[in-house]
Amino acid sequence: MRIAILAVFALIGATPVLAQTPRAGSWQDAVRRLRDAHVGHPIRSGRVAASPAAIIAESEPNDSIRTADSIALGDQAVGVLNPARDVDVWFVDLTEGQLFSVDVDAQVLGSPLDAQLVLFAPDGRTVLAFNDDFNDLDSRISFRVPASGRYFVAIGSFGGNTGSPLARYALNFGTVTCSGLGTEREPNDSPATATRIAIGDSGTGEICPVVERPTGDVDYWAITAQAGTTLDLAVDAASFGFVGDPILALYAPDGTTRLAFNNDFIGSDSRLQFSITTTGTYYATVANVLGFGDPFRYTLHVGTIVPGPGDPITVRAENLGIPLGLAVGNTGDVFVSDVSGGRVLRISAENRVTTFATGIPSPVSVAFDASGQLLVTSLAGGVYRVTPQGQATRFITDGIFPFWIAVAPDGRIWITDLGNRSVRRYSATGQFETSFDAIGIGQSGPGPLAIGPSGEPYVSNGTEIWRLRNGRFERVLAGQSLIWAFAFDVAGNIYAPLPTAGTLKLFDSTGVVLADPFAVGPDAPQAVAFGRDATGATLARVFAIDPQVGRLFEINPAAVRQRGLPGYVAPSLALDVVVAALLGAGGLSLADRQYLDAVGNHNGHYDVGDLRAYLRVLQGSNR
Amino acid sequence: MTRARWMFAMVTALLVSVSCSDQPTNPGSGPGTLAVRLTTPHGDDGAMTFQVDGPVDNVSAANGSLRLFTRRVDGSTVVGVVIGPLANGAIIMLHVPDVSAAEAYTASVREVADLDDALRASLVGYVLTVTR
Repeated sequence: MRIAILAVFALIGATPVLAQTPRAGSWQDAVRRLRDAHVGHPIRSGRVAASPAAIIAESEPNDSIRTADSIALGDQAVGVLNPARDVDVWFVDLTEGQLFSVDVDAQVLGSPLDAQLVLFAPDGRTVLAFNDDFNDLDSRISFRVPASGRYFVAIGSFGGNTGSPLARYALNFGTVTCSGLGTEREPNDSPATATRIAIGDSGTGEICPVVERPTGDVDYWAITAQAGTTLDLAVDAASFGFVGDPILALYAPDGTTRLAFNNDFIGSDSRLQFSITTTGTYYATVANVLGFGDPFRYTLHVGTIVPGPGDPITVRAENLGIPLGLAVGNTGDVFVSDVSGGRVLRISAENRVTTFATGIPSPVSVAFDASGQLLVTSLAGGVYRVTPQGQATRFITDGIFPFWIAVAPDGRIWITDLGNRSVRRYSATGQFETSFDAIGIGQSGPGPLAIGPSGEPYVSNGTEIWRLRNGRFERVLAGQSLIWAFAFDVAGNIYAPLPTAGTLKLFDSTGVVLADPFAVGPDAPQAVAFGRDATGATLARVFAIDPQVGRLFEINPAAVRQRGLPGYVAPSLALDVVVAALLGAGGLSLADRQYLDAVGNHNGHYDVGDLRAYLRVLQGSNR
Repeated sequence: MTRARWMFAMVTALLVSVSCSDQPTNPGSGPGTLAVRLTTPHGDDGAMTFQVDGPVDNVSAANGSLRLFTRRVDGSTVVGVVIGPLANGAIIMLHVPDVSAAEAYTASVREVADLDDALRASLVGYVLTVTR
């Protein structure tokens, strides 16, 4: 059993986990966090152990479930991890509903031990919680007991290499207690009991789960805001040194309609902005992203910022899951990928939401190809092609990790590939043409991708936008916040969503900032696209999606300077010419024939199947 | 002319005129219509290009569910594409100057696509037959 426990430490506490975790700040990490937003990890906060009822010394051998030492709630266990790979196991009887807490004092006592803790279920095998570093190197686990029984706590050393005769530790077994510090006034777990706070002030509180609050602690703050102001709320916890992961939300005066939400604006601290259109009392909430976990203290800052010319925004659709990709079809409908739902949604001009396609695993970015079919990149790898009827099939399969996709005015398909950090180009029919190494652009590039006014691809590497011209990358602009899926108007102005800032920013074609913020919120805008009318012509309307709140919204159109770049425009081919060309009369350019092939069976040449498909295009049955 | 001889002459003339007026639908000879019949190994053909060799005045689809486009290459060759659900049987009608020369007409399949627009990789089993 000792070997098994060591293996548990090795598996969940050491290098393999780190190796499987995307690099912080990378696109993969960002997508993973969005996709796995409901998955939590043990967190910690700076709390001091209470005085123990009794101090119990370990009794070796105690390195297995079978030989575990006994301890009671309220007691302190003491021992030494020696030799280096020593593991000590303790068992404690717990009652359903208790908020169990066990924390290590080692480093704080001057011990060289870098401890790790694992909590096992009564079966002695199921890992319920794990923690490495909580208070510097000292570990802590807080856990709501799901069922009465005998639980096991194993303490080991990080990497199995800090055990020694000097590696003393004390384990404090108890229940979670709350400090009661701060300006919040518990109970404040509902709008009716919210603690009032004025704009310009800061409030302090503690997120502390207790048995009486089975859904976890949520602190409500009441804010009176005037129409025309833009609230700017920020919560600090991690930045104080606590390892709590606070989430922040803003609710309408009815107390139930969530207007904005944020998690992890800077590190694990949260921040949001929201433009108020109706004077009233609004409610900010602070909670733990996990619901339960170690208590942590926080400060909530309530302020206002000057809204941008693109404010106020207007919500066009909600309950879109976690939308990451956005494209507008040639009838003006908006198409949104929902990475969590494995689906693509279609939002009509009347804001009616329907499911357009399903069965695409973790869809990310979307773009229409030369044939008017929707291309979708998948986190599972590959690019899917969706017919106008919503049938999805794998289309491009040779990339490693295709991330963002765009279609150029010539119909060519461009893809950023995170697998080898390249920008790949395909023909309009999906044949690979060439690849450009983009490692040199630095940061996490290449990420989101858009086609500029001259038909060249532009990519974000994180906070910068680069242009690929004549096979070389040139930096166009450098910002200070993460830039996701941007879009161009016909003048070359760049409309850039900054999800970590919670705003959109407007640059001119040379990277000069025209408006910052251009528009605010609602939380983390992540992709923008220009609207189209029923004929497919682009408009001076900008849509954006926010995966944190699952919404599609529109920027104030009065602030949009130009209509969007038209992107790919299908050639207008007369039917008699198309037929005659198939029957040997010529009359079509190579590009025309490629277009027809893209409309049809994309087998590399124009044939009778393509004509059959083009007839449907002319008849409008694919729209 | 006696009355009897006049009657004989009239009957003969009538017979000759009737014979002449029936000639377009007479399968014996002269202008008329030939059918191009398809034999296909598949049940999901959606479009086909073809070629007909022989003097043709006009070409039409055999039924209303098919859409036909043609191009005359020269005086004796027509190429075309027929789009729609294709099945065994007549798909094209050839309007020709002399139906008695049906055996001199040939028709061949150039390309076939299925109902999903995919091009058939093989045309084995496809036959076009010109019949009266």
